[in-house]
Amino acid sequence: MSASLKGYPAESADLEVRVSPYSYNPSAWSQRLPICVLAFIAFLLATHMGLYQWRLIGDVWDPAFGDQSKQVLDSDVAKKMHLWLGVPDAILGAIAYLGDAIFGLAGSTRRWQYRPWLVILFGIDVIPLGLVSGILVICQATIVGNWCFLCLVTALISLVLVVMAYDEVYVSLKYLALVWKKTKSRKIVWRALWGFPEKAADEAALEMVGTISGSISPDALSK
Amino acid sequence: MWARVVEFMLSCWLAASPFIFHHSDSARALWWNDYVTAICVGGASLLSYWRPTRHAHLFTAVVAIWLIGFGRFGLEGSPGPGMQNEIVVGLLLLMFALVPNHAAYPPRFWYSDSANSLSPKD
Repeated sequence: MSASLKGYPAESADLEVRVSPYSYNPSAWSQRLPICVLAFIAFLLATHMGLYQWRLIGDVWDPAFGDQSKQVLDSDVAKKMHLWLGVPDAILGAIAYLGDAIFGLAGSTRRWQYRPWLVILFGIDVIPLGLVSGILVICQATIVGNWCFLCLVTALISLVLVVMAYDEVYVSLKYLALVWKKTKSRKIVWRALWGFPEKAADEAALEMVGTISGSISPDALSK
Repeated sequence: MWARVVEFMLSCWLAASPFIFHHSDSARALWWNDYVTAICVGGASLLSYWRPTRHAHLFTAVVAIWLIGFGRFGLEGSPGPGMQNEIVVGLLLLMFALVPNHAAYPPRFWYSDSANSLSPKD
């Protein structure tokens, strides 16, 4: 049986299909694995800083700013956050990076249609994390007055992750928006969000993959 | 099912936590909390392998929220190592519990034979 552009039935669906407006599949492993690897590296770096904040190791690695890293990790801001959160902020960051890797690994290569909730959850984990990292770096410079090399590296990784993950989240949201535009039914959009098959939703997805594969012309869709 | 395997491993960690973090004999609540949550998480992860109870892993999310709340607010003041362990394990479990069984495949309903199939995909 040849692969179909339609999502239903899954037995015959093409899971590697390209999705408009991109010329590639944003849910493909080639797109997601680099995100997972990068997130895992950030997880290791943040864990290293968290272990120092827990005093399970005596020193934190910093080839650029020397002891300034320790001053950042032992700053009043970091201590206050530890008191509020219950765990060191670096450990919370490490868990968030691990979450990026976990939610990046879960799902098929057509999860933008089959599990939009998972892609959106992935986006919720990645995008606010990037923003929080940026805020923490600003805090380093303005409030603490010191620089922390590993904090800067993890913040940079966070921003790169936002750029890398954006396309898949955009496609999932566009799919749901298209389902809403075609049906105006909250129930169908809700079911599409949670990954239940709906004929109208599958047709919306077909529209997205059909325009890029050439099986449906954009002119035909606009009519 | 890799998420279920990790959940089971975390339940073993929870069961060993009273010994790793040297909970005092007077900290009964902490001992009980670790054992009861370990049994709940381990049980839910195993039940997820049985098709009629395949959604049992969602119960782990509830246990995870309890662990985070207990670790953060269970005692007054800054949480000690044992309580921080509850928070960290809770956060980890919350993430893994949301990963579906057979996550690498399309959901069961997307297969034409989903109603009668014995396919494990869900």
